[in-house]
Amino acid sequence: MTCAELEILLCDYVDGTLRAEERTALESHLAGCSDCAELAKDVAGVTAFIETVAPAEPPAELLTRILHELPSGRPAVEKRSWWRNWFGWVHGFLQPRYVMGMAMTVLSFSMVARFAHIDARQLRPSDLDPVKIWAGIDDRTHRMWDRTVKYYDNLRLVIEIQSRLKEWTDQEQAQNTEGSKQKSEGSKQKAESSTQTTDGSGQKPEAGTSEKKR
Amino acid sequence: MATVAIPAAKWNWVPPNFVSPYPQGRTANNLDADAQLVERCLAGQDAAWEDLVKLHTRRVYSICYRFTSSDAEAQDLTQDVFLRVFKNLKSFRSGEGLFVVWLTRLTRNLLIDHYRRTRMDRATDSIEDQVKVLEETTAVLARTDGMLAGREASEVLQAGLQKLSPELRETVILRDLEELEYREIAQVLNVPEGTVKSRLNRGRAELARVLRRHKVRI
Repeated sequence: MTCAELEILLCDYVDGTLRAEERTALESHLAGCSDCAELAKDVAGVTAFIETVAPAEPPAELLTRILHELPSGRPAVEKRSWWRNWFGWVHGFLQPRYVMGMAMTVLSFSMVARFAHIDARQLRPSDLDPVKIWAGIDDRTHRMWDRTVKYYDNLRLVIEIQSRLKEWTDQEQAQNTEGSKQKSEGSKQKAESSTQTTDGSGQKPEAGTSEKKR
Repeated sequence: MATVAIPAAKWNWVPPNFVSPYPQGRTANNLDADAQLVERCLAGQDAAWEDLVKLHTRRVYSICYRFTSSDAEAQDLTQDVFLRVFKNLKSFRSGEGLFVVWLTRLTRNLLIDHYRRTRMDRATDSIEDQVKVLEETTAVLARTDGMLAGREASEVLQAGLQKLSPELRETVILRDLEELEYREIAQVLNVPEGTVKSRLNRGRAELARVLRRHKVRI
């Protein structure tokens, strides 16, 4: 018998449940192995010591406290009525997440149907014709686009911005026209004055132009 | 000072007519009683619930006290255990195992949770506690000449158990104090039976060393 095998059998040996041949083999190993003998002595000594130990007794009031604090002293079991047994599976689907999911599905389908101009109450087989459905969607899209544009145009803010922009552009145009008028008048005056100077000292302007040309 | 009186190492230290103190199996009556009580509890009988609590309070409290070494904590934990039993009794299937094993596993899981939660508190208190326990043990041993029994032995054992790792401590408690079968301990701890026996040997040997260090005659 090896030390590892002895360790496995040691608990049963202390319990006194080993078979005679195993016990003999174990005891012969103990006689020759001081480490295992020491281990066996410790194990048996502690087991014998623990036998002398008084049990840990709970205080008397603990039982009262436990029974008092448990809700109504009845485990969480309830009798199921017959309709719960039959329709119990529905209960699983009545959780908030499932209900919310179903509500969102119904809402989105109804929105699509409304957008596609499908009225479930007056639905006829001819309404399910793809051409008709497509025409309905196309018509709705254009109407909605027009309505959106109209709504946008009628917004007070948009009108104000547009009118302000118009004012600015008008002002700019007015300034431009005034500036061009003044410029043309100025050029006219300049032309007139230049004619006067050429009349006075004929050579100068020509010299100036010749310098610029260089 | 108490004298150390440890018998010399001998191979024939176990008496030839040694009879194990542990029951080799619980009686069929006990098992039936538990199963019937659980059934009555599930049927909604208040009296059955009271009987169930009365029958198992001592076991649950004992495990909690031996593990935590504190009466107040053990009482609170025992209450928590029964509150959990109350909520989860439906999940117990009598065909899948014993009620005692189910209850002990529930208690053990709660204790491990508690152990992890209070790790920081123990780290700060441990030095003071160890000094206190050592002084008390020495005083007791001086009075009793190393031979302890009953309540004093219980206190010394308690101090020794606190020196063991949680794994070894719980195994020693479940086997030597609660007298569970190896198979049942394996189910509670969710480890093989061989591991249970190995931990038990190591736990007992470590405990013997601790007790000897405290001059207890074993």
